[in-house]
Amino acid sequence: MSTPLKPRQRAAGRTLGDRRVTLVAGVVVVQAVAAIFFLADAVVDIAEDGWGWHVISEAAIAFALLAGVVAGAYHTRYMVERARRDAEALTIARGALAEQLQARFEEWKLTAAESDVALLSLKGFETAEISRLRNVAEGTVRAQLTSIYAKSGVSSRHGLLSQFFDDLIELGDA
Amino acid sequence: MENTAKPVRKWDPIVKLTHWGVALVIVSNALIVGEGSIAHIYAGYFLAALIALRLLWGLIGSANARFSAFPPNPVAALGHARDIVAGRKEAHASHNPLGALMAYALWACLLVVIGSGIAMAGAPPAITTPVSVSQLVSEGEEEEGEGEHDEYGEGGEEGEGEEIFEEVHEIAVNLLYILIFLHIGGVALETARSGRRTVTAMLPGGR
Repeated sequence: MSTPLKPRQRAAGRTLGDRRVTLVAGVVVVQAVAAIFFLADAVVDIAEDGWGWHVISEAAIAFALLAGVVAGAYHTRYMVERARRDAEALTIARGALAEQLQARFEEWKLTAAESDVALLSLKGFETAEISRLRNVAEGTVRAQLTSIYAKSGVSSRHGLLSQFFDDLIELGDA
Repeated sequence: MENTAKPVRKWDPIVKLTHWGVALVIVSNALIVGEGSIAHIYAGYFLAALIALRLLWGLIGSANARFSAFPPNPVAALGHARDIVAGRKEAHASHNPLGALMAYALWACLLVVIGSGIAMAGAPPAITTPVSVSQLVSEGEEEEGEGEHDEYGEGGEEGEGEEIFEEVHEIAVNLLYILIFLHIGGVALETARSGRRTVTAMLPGGR
């Protein structure tokens, strides 16, 4: 199904998540660089001065940095994998919802045009926007919406939306 | 359009950051800063950190970045080469089999470059007094004579040893250039075959 989007919120959400992962990954990279320089320094100090309190503290810091790199890497992996799982779950949910919508539209015996309008309406488009997207008069869209509400036994857009949310919320509770 | 998109196939930020970081260091050390300069040595350590992180990421990283997602497999690589010749296309979630071999070759080569470089230069030289940028990027002293390197070296028979390291460093770097050339060629070929995703998957944003 390829319908127009209300893209603003979704795009913003995705970029924010991406940015967060990139930020953590960036910190991990900087830490790795710091760890290498610190480690090299500690190795030279050990070679030159042998073991002493100074070297032991340096080694401890180097170890802490390395541990930070590993922990940061694990955290980055967790974030990357979760983002991937979320995207997959969203794809599956989207497919399921699309099927559900189509089934209900057929059940209500909506025409092809009415199905399109109902879908756009559910996606949050206003009447004026729908008329622009479909290149028809606003009056036509309003008439189609009225027909849709009548066929689905509701009296408003909210009622139409609740026809689907009702099911989802029940499923969530069960 | 977004709701027709398949699950996004792009590299994770660690892969991207280390990839472009390594590319940046190679360009810088090959073209911008002088051989053996202080900046060259620091960049080398920077490179070592990026490679170390990428190899760690190969063990504990995200699914597509782990070595297990693209084991070195010459047989599969041959099969992939046959696919290319026959014009067959197959989607690969991680590196394709030829790309995987290239990745391991590049890493092996980079490890030799890093190892021989550190063997020559020792620890990152301290920058004690305020120095100008030109001093930082100007060529280091040649090993012959003076013993300036005693400061970093282990002393003793370093003269001969360093010459070997220098040879190894240069040979490995030249091999690296060849591999990079092939790598870019491979990406160009794969882009022509399978579309822009080959490139965009490695770019920021990655769509």
